[in-house]
Amino acid sequence: MDETVAEFIKRTILKIRMNELLTILKAWDFLPENQLQTINFRQRKESLVQHLVRLCEEKHASLNDAALLDIICEDVDLFDMKQFKNSFKKILQRALKNALTVASKHHQIVKMDLRSRYLESLKAIVFKQYNQTFETHNSTTPLQERNLGLDINMDSRIIHENIAEKERVQQITQKTFGDYPQPQLEFAQYKLETKFKSDLNGSILAEREEPLRCLIKFSSPHLLEALKSLAPAGIADAPLSPLLTCIPNKRMNYFKIRDK
Amino acid sequence: MDSYDVSESTPRQSTSSRPEDYFISATFLQKRLESVRKQTSFIPPSPRRKIPHCSQLQEDVDPQKVAFLLHKQWTLYSLTPLYKFSYSSIKEYSRLLNAFIVAEKQKGLAVEVGEDFNIKVIFSTLLGIKGTQKDPEALLVQILSKSQLPSEDREGKVLWTGWFCCIFGDSLLETVSEDFTCLPLFLANGAESNTAIIGTWFQKTFDCYFSPLAINAFNLSWMAAMWTACKMDHYVATTEFLWSVPCSPQSLDISYAIHPEDAKALWDSVHKTPGEVTQEEVDLFMDCLYSHFHRHFKIHLSATRLVRVSTSVASAHTDGKIKILCHKYLIGVLAYLTELAIFQIE
Repeated sequence: MDETVAEFIKRTILKIRMNELLTILKAWDFLPENQLQTINFRQRKESLVQHLVRLCEEKHASLNDAALLDIICEDVDLFDMKQFKNSFKKILQRALKNALTVASKHHQIVKMDLRSRYLESLKAIVFKQYNQTFETHNSTTPLQERNLGLDINMDSRIIHENIAEKERVQQITQKTFGDYPQPQLEFAQYKLETKFKSDLNGSILAEREEPLRCLIKFSSPHLLEALKSLAPAGIADAPLSPLLTCIPNKRMNYFKIRDK
Repeated sequence: MDSYDVSESTPRQSTSSRPEDYFISATFLQKRLESVRKQTSFIPPSPRRKIPHCSQLQEDVDPQKVAFLLHKQWTLYSLTPLYKFSYSSIKEYSRLLNAFIVAEKQKGLAVEVGEDFNIKVIFSTLLGIKGTQKDPEALLVQILSKSQLPSEDREGKVLWTGWFCCIFGDSLLETVSEDFTCLPLFLANGAESNTAIIGTWFQKTFDCYFSPLAINAFNLSWMAAMWTACKMDHYVATTEFLWSVPCSPQSLDISYAIHPEDAKALWDSVHKTPGEVTQEEVDLFMDCLYSHFHRHFKIHLSATRLVRVSTSVASAHTDGKIKILCHKYLIGVLAYLTELAIFQIE
């Protein structure tokens, strides 16, 4: 069992009130009941905690188990056991986030969006790679994995092309935005006065001389990071439009665009 | 106004109802099943709708009386037909609901800080809020705070408003017996807790069922096209679309506002069938907006989620929220929403 996990379990149990401890351990359901019955709950808390941690070690408690215990403590509402079990995964992710803030010594990881479905890779990212700056384009990894789960009957050349295309997009994105975290920007606004020109149907608004008057506004808690993720996600073409990529360069976020 | 041309019988989009869904209220839904079976033999080429215009019935409505329905945000629900509801008993219903609300609040189920139990519930009918004479009268329920001072006669502040209507509800009306009153569209404004209490009372009293009415991107596009198609003397608001991008690590919202005259010009260029809106026209209208955007930003808006559309006629949000801005097209907007509500009930 990881040192960190042991520490985490120890701190969690220390937080629990003595009169609630047995109930919580039962709800946690990690240590079997017959084992719990053999424990002397009247001993000094410190030695009791050490004993419990040892038992957890023997049973090879994982981070998931520790996180579960943490969340039970946070929210001791045993009447909601059924609901709790149903929302296990969500609770687990929240617990993991809490656990990391406590266990990790590197405070810059505090603000993370743990929405990946791949808990193992998340764990790997944080515990093994927390020396590096957190690279946001890792969030596309689940998408890539998803896309690579193609029909095995598909032509292997197409698969290769997809991979190649994805790599190309990644490279361009990296070139445009760099590897460092983007400056925090919340919106960009564009006033467009350009004629309508469509490749769909040449006749639409063909006679109209006047431009279309549009106001486009992009907003996000972290705009540049969001824009950076569009091409890898397939929502935008790579390379991105210069209207977007010039934002960090020009250090402005209000633009007026007119036909030349 | 002639009857609504709802010629399509198959669902426009999305899943068809599963058999299990039918076992909620046997009588009502059995009839519905029969009706649907009758209709499924005819499959039209593509959906089309009439462009809303000011109905004759609506001309008779006093705009002052319905002004309070405009410029307010309403949360939408669909409602199954009410069993043994009677318009002649609405005074009685006022008293019963009043007592129910007070009892529920005293139970502590919906206690808000500073809650005043001095309330008054009023049921009334909204004249003229219907499509044809066959539609039942629209029903209005309001919770008012009773004036603190006994000397004051005038009514207190309106705390909560809810209204029920049925606009061109023929397809639903045909399927129910006389014991049922069809008011499939419900709109509420005010505290959620009040909506919940009132909903509970209705469900208990009339054996009906409320369900939140979300509006998907497909229907939002239709609304945008139809409302852009409406003739306006002057525009009070810009035409605006809001997309939400799901894939970013952080959420990204893209707002695309276009001058209403330009939106109308684009629509007129796309529009071919007089008096009607077709699926092809809606698709082309939206595609034009997408392509104009793509030309500048290289972003495929069609790959993101449309969550809100806003025009001078009305604005609608995917969460099932609506704001009607134009008295002239009130019935037209409600007609579309009624259609969505009926579709959800089926």
